[in-house]
Amino acid sequence: MEEQSPNNTPAQITSAPPARDLAAPGESRAIAFGFAGWLVPGLGHALQMMWGRALVVFLAVGLLVFAGASMKGNVFTRQGSDAFDTLGYIADLGTGSFYFFARAIESNGADVSHADGDYGTRLLATAGVLNLLAALHAYEAARGHKA
Amino acid sequence: MTAIPPLELTHFQAFLLFAVVISVTFGFLGRRRPKDRVKYILWSLFLFLLVGIGVGWAMFPFSR
Repeated sequence: MEEQSPNNTPAQITSAPPARDLAAPGESRAIAFGFAGWLVPGLGHALQMMWGRALVVFLAVGLLVFAGASMKGNVFTRQGSDAFDTLGYIADLGTGSFYFFARAIESNGADVSHADGDYGTRLLATAGVLNLLAALHAYEAARGHKA
Repeated sequence: MTAIPPLELTHFQAFLLFAVVISVTFGFLGRRRPKDRVKYILWSLFLFLLVGIGVGWAMFPFSR
């Protein structure tokens, strides 16, 4: 038992708290920034005053979602019939709140019988994965890693 | 919400849109100084176009 060791004075015990306890608030903050970045593209960077990056991420994800939905790309839902539909749904969910924007503006449904619809599906998936990468970047930046 | 008019892009236009958006975003996320960002964006865009068009030409013999 550590407390019973004769070499551990009270000063030594109190001066060395577990490193995890010290890192916890920063880690929670970083997770919150990452989550915010996923929910609203660019918000994770905006909360850290990285205005240029926030604007670029917001516009890039927004443009890809708008173009993908306008080209009648497939916005996947939970009711996927196979693994590819599920993967597509996960990728589309990566856009956060923009997923619902894509569903709203594509009220006439997808049309992947033409090449445009297929390209649109890829652009939507790209928007989701790009936003996940940006959210991860916001998380790493909040942790103090060079970014 | 009212459905928006469909957007019709050629294969190359869709590819160009993808390449530009990804290059700009990666440039801003991956580099801090403006000069480095511009260099990264231009180089990344060039490579996207080179590889995309290269793969397109490589597939040409099998397209018919």
